[in-house]
Amino acid sequence: MDALARLHGLIIDDPRGKEFRVHRDVFRDPEVFDWEMRHIFEATWVFLGLESQVPSPHDYMTAFIGRHPVVVSRDGKGDLHCFINSCRHRGALVCHRAFGNRKYHVCQYHGWSYDSSGRNVYVKDRDQAAYPPSFDQEDHDLVKVRKFAAYRGFLFASLAADVPSLEDHLGEARWFLDLIADQGEEGVECVPGRVVFRFRGNWKMQLENGVDPYHFTSTHASYIQILERRQKAKTDHVPTSIYTNIRNAGIRRGSFTFARGHAAMWGDTPSPQARALFPSYESLVARHGEVRARWMFHTRNLTLFPNMQIAENASLQLRVMRPLSAGATEMAIWCMGPKGESAEGRRQRIRQYEDFFNPSGLATPDDVANYEDCQSGFAATSIPWQQGHARGFEASVAGADRFAEEIGLQPERSLIGPAELGDETAFHSCYREWLRLIEAGLRKDAIGEHSTGKAAN
Amino acid sequence: MSGAPSIDQVEDFLYREAWLLDRQRWKEWLDLYAPDCRFWVPAWKQDHELVDDPDAGLSFIYYESRGGLEDRVWRAQSGMSVASTPLPRTCHQVTNVRYEAPASGRLLVRSAWSCHIFDLRAREQRGFFGHYEHLLACDGGALRIAEKKIILFNDVITGFIDFYCV
Repeated sequence: MDALARLHGLIIDDPRGKEFRVHRDVFRDPEVFDWEMRHIFEATWVFLGLESQVPSPHDYMTAFIGRHPVVVSRDGKGDLHCFINSCRHRGALVCHRAFGNRKYHVCQYHGWSYDSSGRNVYVKDRDQAAYPPSFDQEDHDLVKVRKFAAYRGFLFASLAADVPSLEDHLGEARWFLDLIADQGEEGVECVPGRVVFRFRGNWKMQLENGVDPYHFTSTHASYIQILERRQKAKTDHVPTSIYTNIRNAGIRRGSFTFARGHAAMWGDTPSPQARALFPSYESLVARHGEVRARWMFHTRNLTLFPNMQIAENASLQLRVMRPLSAGATEMAIWCMGPKGESAEGRRQRIRQYEDFFNPSGLATPDDVANYEDCQSGFAATSIPWQQGHARGFEASVAGADRFAEEIGLQPERSLIGPAELGDETAFHSCYREWLRLIEAGLRKDAIGEHSTGKAAN
Repeated sequence: MSGAPSIDQVEDFLYREAWLLDRQRWKEWLDLYAPDCRFWVPAWKQDHELVDDPDAGLSFIYYESRGGLEDRVWRAQSGMSVASTPLPRTCHQVTNVRYEAPASGRLLVRSAWSCHIFDLRAREQRGFFGHYEHLLACDGGALRIAEKKIILFNDVITGFIDFYCV
């Protein structure tokens, strides 16, 4: 079947007919995965990490843009660079560690060397090489990633040059990044200690789950029960959770969707006094006004399409998704906190994080087991369509609701309801962007032009 | 501690802990721990550098009381946790046991461990390995765990981990 026709058979997005459906091949088909790599991950802005993770001259970190291994490196003058982690000579990785500090990156194979800006400074035995003139005319520097930019210390890059500016790409979703960055007077940082886990499931299981309020009471029933047991026994071996009293809280849940696939979910916090940020409330009001300070205390889950999520609820978590195949995903996750936080606040934030998040926490393992169960269920190839994208359809409104107005945003769509509404419309923007990008890529394929390579002759 | 335990007694204690974990006799496993025990599985900061301060860096698991472990045992047996239902079969190995001369009535015992896991949900095997550091107290003639530090070497976690996997 023609690839474009096949693609259009995978999403039904019919606002008039009040239907939004996602085909299960989206999660299980290797051809679809290949489209995603080439036309999404290697064709739009993806998140790499934080500036504060490479603070000093010659610091570097390694990451991935789709399948491409890349390096973010700070040169001797303090400028950041992003280049592909592959020696120009025979292709070997030049950086092997997740984080490090190197003035020169020396390829271990034949000794070609690059400085911390990616510039080739040495080709071993060049004078004796009898290279032809064509070699000398070539650029031997590590290949620069075409677009590389930071927003409030969050680093993004794109292999494709034909993308809007980072600010335009993030659009109004920036407001939610600002709300994180503004929690510390000097910004935010990742708590030391890196955690990586892999699950046997498609990356979009995580993409959806990050803004899915519907799973909470069923998937995390054991966590909710543990909070109740702790409350009853009046124990304090773990700091109080913000989810304490969730059953009786009568909380509201809202969502906003934005252009270019971004989405945010927000809600009332059942026990705001349990937030590590709570003692800072007055100073946050003084610095940022009552409305923004209040929103810092709402639970907020942000998806920046395609590969980054921030969850501020049980604690503050940064997630980076790295799809490995249609049925496998690697997650790099970090606990974040304001720079200069009090020792007590930091301790509380870390304990709350470990209690809920992490592949060793009391909640994330249950999410992971569900993703893996879904992927196993997708083996039933005779079932084409999910029934998981319709909740909230009749509650979703075009443009801003009064909550978006309160914070001065014009999202594409807004929704508000009780937590039990279990909104699934927040996923829709992701799939719209998913479809838009793959379609654009397939059209380029059809005329022989590739988003990450040279235009065909 | 009057009359330090022999290496045989210390080894037997560690083997018994592993056996109780694998047989899912977790109430008895909890009894090996002092009520104010410290249970710590630190995360890694760098390739060869662990988080050394649990209040400033992240851990996979960190408790300063047995209560945290009691929560986990309850959860694993509750039938309400997707990840723990069905429970996997686990097989811990503990080896290379050495201990330092008693100081302040406690023994620091170092060992190497691995845990083979048969995941009944996926019908697949997984495994984790690393080092243990037990700080044992002698409580009325019986050994008890005052602190246990679990150093997890293969920290690209396949799926998830819980107390019965490490």
